[in-house]
Amino acid sequence: MPTVATAPAIDANDPSAQIRAAVADRLAAGSFEVPMLPQVASQVSILASSADADAPRLSALIHRDAVLAGHVLRIANSPAYMPRMPIVSLQQAVARLGLQVVAEIAFAASVQSGVFRVPGYESVLKQLWRHSLASGAFAKEIARARRFNVESAFLCGLLHAVGRPAMLQLTTDAAKALRLTLTPARVFTLLDDGHQEVGALVAAKWELPKPVCAAITHYQDYRRAAGFEHDAMVTFLADRLATHLTVAGAFDETSVRDHAVFADLNLYPDDVNALLAKKESVARTVDAMTV
Amino acid sequence: MIDDVTTLAFDVLVIGSGPAGQKAAIQARKAGRKVAVVEQEKGVGGMCVQRGTIPSKTLRETALSLARLRRGAELLDFKLRPDMEVSSLMTRLDQVVKANVAYLGRQLERNGIHRLYGRGRFVNADTVEILSVDGSRSRVTAQTIMIATGSRPRTPAEIPVDHENVLDSDSILSMLYLPQSLTVLGGGVIACEYASIFAHLGVRVTMIDRTPRPLAFMDADLVGKFVQAFEHNGGRYLGGQTIGSVEWDGISQVITRLGNGETVSSDKMLVALGRVAAVDGLDLAAAGLAATQRGLLAVDEHCRTVVPHIYAIGDVIGPPSLAATAMEQGRRAARHALGLGPGLPSEMIPIGIYTIPEMASVGLSADEAEKRTPGTIIGQARFDEVARGQISGIQDGLLKLVCDPSGKKLLGVHIVGEGATELIHVGQMAMLGREGGADVDLFVENTFNFPTLAEAYRVAALDVWERRGG
Repeated sequence: MPTVATAPAIDANDPSAQIRAAVADRLAAGSFEVPMLPQVASQVSILASSADADAPRLSALIHRDAVLAGHVLRIANSPAYMPRMPIVSLQQAVARLGLQVVAEIAFAASVQSGVFRVPGYESVLKQLWRHSLASGAFAKEIARARRFNVESAFLCGLLHAVGRPAMLQLTTDAAKALRLTLTPARVFTLLDDGHQEVGALVAAKWELPKPVCAAITHYQDYRRAAGFEHDAMVTFLADRLATHLTVAGAFDETSVRDHAVFADLNLYPDDVNALLAKKESVARTVDAMTV
Repeated sequence: MIDDVTTLAFDVLVIGSGPAGQKAAIQARKAGRKVAVVEQEKGVGGMCVQRGTIPSKTLRETALSLARLRRGAELLDFKLRPDMEVSSLMTRLDQVVKANVAYLGRQLERNGIHRLYGRGRFVNADTVEILSVDGSRSRVTAQTIMIATGSRPRTPAEIPVDHENVLDSDSILSMLYLPQSLTVLGGGVIACEYASIFAHLGVRVTMIDRTPRPLAFMDADLVGKFVQAFEHNGGRYLGGQTIGSVEWDGISQVITRLGNGETVSSDKMLVALGRVAAVDGLDLAAAGLAATQRGLLAVDEHCRTVVPHIYAIGDVIGPPSLAATAMEQGRRAARHALGLGPGLPSEMIPIGIYTIPEMASVGLSADEAEKRTPGTIIGQARFDEVARGQISGIQDGLLKLVCDPSGKKLLGVHIVGEGATELIHVGQMAMLGREGGADVDLFVENTFNFPTLAEAYRVAALDVWERRGG
């Protein structure tokens, strides 16, 4: 079970520190409920009940929402469905369980929705989704460049920052309780600081596959992902490329290239050029899959 | 201009650190030369260690262990967790590869061989430019250069290998879960090895190839036994087929349309249609070299290219593309280059194929022997005839001795069954021991441990003895 670091000391004049401390307290108390954010869950249920329902549309719809995708995988792997082998992708879930069962799972997930809604932060959430989708798409391209299986890479990329929306809920709850106002910039800083720990909790509770858990927990310090360094490395680079693509002014192309992860992944300059050349197609994918 | 970058000088430069490159480098170093090895991957060992021989054999051993565990589970009435099976496969793979990379790295270090991390490219016949992963460049000159860059999977343009649904022999090693069904394109060594491993793991495997039977270069009886075992494990071999098209249906299945109109669908596909020499980035023309029409490097009997001080060894020169052969090519090429006299080439190179069950051979096949001297006598022993086979449950094995028409001289040995790749060396050593082949009676007149699979040699020799009239 991953542990959550507590804030070192609370500075009464530092709102961020107060929020961090409040979040840490809540996590330590175990009062944090692993959230769901099925952005397109209702559309899944509508689709499933329509005559037009087909597997490609269902899969595409679920893929638009990283949290829902994670929930579908978790449920598909639960004792209720007793898969012979762990199900680690929606493709596999549809293949193993069939269209209707996956639709039911997605519907069940949608019933539980509503826990994770953060009014006033829709644009933040949208940006988080775009970043997750871009990370998933880049992770696939990195895996292809290294001739590794891209299926797990996509999942790692898509779900690596699943702790961020959870942190958003925790952070805004804490700010509200402390009667503090959060600027968008401060929100993102707070999410960045703590999302890996929360993501680890989510990953553990959702019983995601080991490589995905390792990537969520360790991607920022990938050398610590014992046995899954490669998954974490791919995820780290995917996150970096996704940030470059989706966060205006985050860093330019020269800064993107300036990191040891390329050498760690044995990606030579021409490989890096090829990856960066995928930006437009990744952007198109992100646009197409963003609700 | 080569003065604007660091230039290093060596006696011998080896490009590639796979089995051929390692042995060439170590041989040259043991002869007292200053040696460097260029490797584009972080770890040494080449594809053999990273994606080829070592991982596939590890996967095979783990698959066999899991099968034994499953049998044990049935006997002792306990259940294996399915996810344990997959994770144990992949974790063990990772551990073995890392251990091999570390071991080979230490071996090069212990021998005082310089390791240069980067991609090599000829500037001219004496100079190789090395592009580091960070983009920096350096140059190396050497009196002798060995090209040992190996090979990569061949992927025909019409087959959409995406490493997600349609995999090659590199990307199949990073699968996160076992698919329910797998189509394998190809009927060669890699195709058969992976097809039998996955069938053994409970995956529904369909192997498709143009040839009527797989592994056409192996003894037909051995291959027959292999196909029988493969089909017993739920596999299916579709021979004599052409591929019309391959596509992923966008949901869950890879659809293969055959030339005869039949359609095969599966969760995943492995494309194992051979390998091509990895010479793309070398700029061979700068060194005065060119690849053959088949994309290989042409060499003489000493592995020397048309440029006398440049040698090519291992997979870049084509079949048999065996690690053991590549090692010997590396050793011999280095000795020749250094004027050390490589000795007589071995005529007894064994072939080992790590299918389930294993296959191995050495010397002449029955057809080759018959062509040379009609009237060949063949003795056989089934593993279920020997005590060890019965005890160990290895009952689908077969050992064949190919003898001259007198039934005295041993010309070849062919084995299928677990332990075949080790057992073949008994035959190999016997054949090396006598000029022109061993006397088959050797196996009857000497004592083997009992019970062992090696006893099959005696049973087959007695069969020969009977066929020649006692």
